[in-house]
Amino acid sequence: MKGILDYVPGSSFLHRLNPLVKLLLAFVLCASCFVTGNHFIVLGVIALNLALAFSAGIFGRALKMLSSLLKLSALLFLVQIFFVREGQILLQLPLGLYITDLGLSFSLLFVLRLLAAALPLGLMLSVTQTSDIPNVLVRKLGLPYQYAFVLGTAIRFIPLFAQEMAGIMEAQTARGVEFDTKNFFKKVALLLPLCAPLLVSSVRRIEGGAISAELRGFYLRGRKSGYKDYPFALRDFGALLGGACVLALAVLF
Amino acid sequence: MIELKNLGFRYSGAERHALDGISLTIEDGAFLGLIGSSGAGKSTLCYALSGIVPHHYRGDFYGELLVEGMDSAEHRPEEIARVLGCVFQDIDGQMVASVVEDEILFGLENFGVPREEIEGRVAEALAAAGISELRCRAISDLSGGQKQKVAIAAITALRPKIIVLDEPTGELDPRSSRRVFETLKELNEQYGVTIVVVEQKIMLLCEFAKRLAVMEEGKLILEGEVREVLQSAGRMEAAGVNIPRVTTLARALREEGLYGGRLPLNLEEGEKMMREVGLSC
Repeated sequence: MKGILDYVPGSSFLHRLNPLVKLLLAFVLCASCFVTGNHFIVLGVIALNLALAFSAGIFGRALKMLSSLLKLSALLFLVQIFFVREGQILLQLPLGLYITDLGLSFSLLFVLRLLAAALPLGLMLSVTQTSDIPNVLVRKLGLPYQYAFVLGTAIRFIPLFAQEMAGIMEAQTARGVEFDTKNFFKKVALLLPLCAPLLVSSVRRIEGGAISAELRGFYLRGRKSGYKDYPFALRDFGALLGGACVLALAVLF
Repeated sequence: MIELKNLGFRYSGAERHALDGISLTIEDGAFLGLIGSSGAGKSTLCYALSGIVPHHYRGDFYGELLVEGMDSAEHRPEEIARVLGCVFQDIDGQMVASVVEDEILFGLENFGVPREEIEGRVAEALAAAGISELRCRAISDLSGGQKQKVAIAAITALRPKIIVLDEPTGELDPRSSRRVFETLKELNEQYGVTIVVVEQKIMLLCEFAKRLAVMEEGKLILEGEVREVLQSAGRMEAAGVNIPRVTTLARALREEGLYGGRLPLNLEEGEKMMREVGLSC
């Protein structure tokens, strides 16, 4: 079962970029959303993300990510819009609630930023082999391997935990629990008790991984132990230049 | 060579010893099958052989365990790992990478194997496990049997002198189980690797292992050549260990005075026995 953040093999421009450049590019795109207050720039970053996803053959996955994020964003938008009390009132509601033009603008920007900032990281993980991230951080940035391994393992475990949770839910469904309820609060109440078995199985899995790593010389690894080289190519500099242009646009507007 | 001298271990907080006074010598090139009921101490023995006990799991440890002359109480697991590789029960839990190739590379990179040697070792380990075509596949896409082979390849790539496997066929169907044992046999016979395998499928052990050790409540109750150990079938059954049906049949025929030959270990030998006693299968 493929998770939403699992690596998708390919040979696109994005796939062939140096993992460090992909990581930097993702952070640059995230940062661009936060340095600008312009809705159109943020929308542009989202569009750029979708275009990059299309070029890497993961457009469907990007839309799926966007749709998942939209559900969360809708909830945050509703909460946020009533908290901003400044500006001209656009709509008066009962219980002293009202929506202002500033509130609407700020909430919209907030949601767009959330979408635009989350997408690049999701895309980066989809086009980068998990092991390349710690390896390149060690070889190119000199990060101690132990820390880089922890980061790589944390990323690797996101889809694994999702699979684990799906497995536990399937087991509970087989026992008659109905998770496909439309009632959000009822669903949360049904999911909460599953956190305990998820935690237990996760700890067990982490311990197994730690023992396995230790038995394969984890503590002996040095900075130069890596087999793969991660040389920079012309396309990497081009991608970085593109990222810098987006950031500059965001700063200027 | 592995030498266990009166080895004992009790997990901290546990009431009884998981290992209780075990003395055993495993010679180079041996293929030892380890069997016993649940809680007999088989997995703990695997942990002890790898150095995980007493370095990772704390408790009362006594006796002596020497792996290729290294005292497991004094040497860290990663030092022992240079000569002894382990494949544990929980296959998913011991995977450290997302892609098969990276899983194999992990140990090689850690142990600082020269770059020019790595490619050959990866290809060789994958070929020996019969999974060369899986090299670039995501581990999450593999079946239980394929993951098992990846785990074995990740260890064989390190070329250890000894491989310890804890129920390597636990999640496999009979055909895949057999393939795993055939891989182990090849490693044992062609490369001279010492194999210690914990297994509940007694027929497989009897067919592939050269020696058998039976554990009960942390103690080693029987050890010797497979046929020799099966002579004590009654003791094995009392310890909660199944014995092959052909062996049970042979014992019954012996008791009736119908058969006096050696104990059969597999179906072929069972068929031969039946022909000897004048019964057709």
